[in-house]
Amino acid sequence: MKSLHIASTGMMAQQLNVDVISNNIANMRTTGYKRQRAEFQDLLYQNLRRGGASTSGEGSTVPSGIQIGAGVKTGATYRIMSQGTLTPTDKTLDIAVRGEGFFQIQMPNGQTAYTRDGTFERDDEGNMVTLDGYRLVPNIVIPADARDVAISVDGTVEAFLAQDAAATNLGQITLTRFANKAGLEAIGDNLLLETPSSGAANTVIATNDGAGSLLQKYVEASNVNAVQEISDLIAAQRAYEMNSKVITVSDEMMSVTARLK
Amino acid sequence: MNNAIRIGLSQQVALKRQMDIVANNLANMNTAGFKLENLILQEYIMPGASMPGHSAGSNYLSYVSDTGLKRDFTTGEMQNTGNPLDVAINGEGWFTLQTPDGNRYSRDGHFSLNQNGQLVNLSGFPVLVDGEPIQFEENETNIHIAKDGTISSSEGVRGAFEISVFENEQLLQKEGGNLFSSPVAPQQAPPENITVAQGTIEKSNVDPVVQLTRMIEVQRAYERSANMIKKMSELKTNSINKLAQVS
Repeated sequence: MKSLHIASTGMMAQQLNVDVISNNIANMRTTGYKRQRAEFQDLLYQNLRRGGASTSGEGSTVPSGIQIGAGVKTGATYRIMSQGTLTPTDKTLDIAVRGEGFFQIQMPNGQTAYTRDGTFERDDEGNMVTLDGYRLVPNIVIPADARDVAISVDGTVEAFLAQDAAATNLGQITLTRFANKAGLEAIGDNLLLETPSSGAANTVIATNDGAGSLLQKYVEASNVNAVQEISDLIAAQRAYEMNSKVITVSDEMMSVTARLK
Repeated sequence: MNNAIRIGLSQQVALKRQMDIVANNLANMNTAGFKLENLILQEYIMPGASMPGHSAGSNYLSYVSDTGLKRDFTTGEMQNTGNPLDVAINGEGWFTLQTPDGNRYSRDGHFSLNQNGQLVNLSGFPVLVDGEPIQFEENETNIHIAKDGTISSSEGVRGAFEISVFENEQLLQKEGGNLFSSPVAPQQAPPENITVAQGTIEKSNVDPVVQLTRMIEVQRAYERSANMIKKMSELKTNSINKLAQVS
């Protein structure tokens, strides 16, 4: 009975669909999180009677043959990189990107990771770091006596030092763009890595080349839409149930056959 | 009597195949651009054995045979995904994809960019725009797809989707991976006949209620057929027992 195996591929696909949806719901409040979607493809087909095969010497052909599919597979779980809502936080070192770019983060192993999560803090040396203490690239040091740190839309960081009346330039935050940002590999902790499918990192100054502009004292909320996720969850659950019904029916048909004798 | 059992068997073989097709339809109820299928069953008439001098007029056996597959090409439900590179075709027409084996056609409009900035489908095959793959530059933004299939970006108009139409869609063969192949070359849809929607995906056109009902039908028919075979087998046993009794 092929239907038994076909239905099992359906159940596995829906199971994965539920996994993806639950991860989206779990990360509904994660800063900079981009929701994922599972996309399915049909599996190969078995030609039992090929369409177009001749049925007589007079040139008549089979108008449509018989092809039986082998079920479904997951084609991809791709990330939808749409802009999340910008939420005001009033925290000086919270920065949101409005546009396409990513912040570059220096990982402890020397790699550069990318993130949309712009909640930065100062470490004991005054470096701007992520919540895990990883430094921003290029590194920006905020002296201990700095007041009123201001980050402009193009990423220039300025602060008033000690009793100075004029602001001092502390550096510039750059952003990175990718040809295919949906191809970045998520490694958790809101960080993403460059992959062969994402294309090479292209570091630019904010507001240039479509990298987007920066907004201080804001963070980007996740782009998960709760209503959509819940309705997708319901649909996935029902699809799972229906595929399990197919398994039951296939089983009953086989048992009918077995009882023949 | 043997004939009855064989006729029952022919029905069971066809029903099993139909069950496989229903299972595949249900497994793909969430596959974008999937088109549901149904088996065409036909009566296969065969003359039964006849003796000279007997009229053979009514002595025909009618088997069942599965002769073909009918695909339902109605448009599936449209779902909004919010992904700018998801495109759905409203009405007739197919996206044209370039594969190593030649052009393939798909209604699944989930595209993404690959590492070179080319617009590709889930399997990485480039979609044809004005007859060739389209490649976006790294600094291009705001990819917008107009209703008539025209793609524009921050660099201006980049081309229009090559939408293929077929005179007889039943000739299309499924290839897996949401792709179809065609034995005949398609025509290009004129731009005024094309309506596409950006940020939308055409879901599968499988109606689960219909499929589940069909599945129940198949199951019951299979049971009936099995019952018939069983009865016939009992009849045979009985007749052998009775006829063989020597009084």
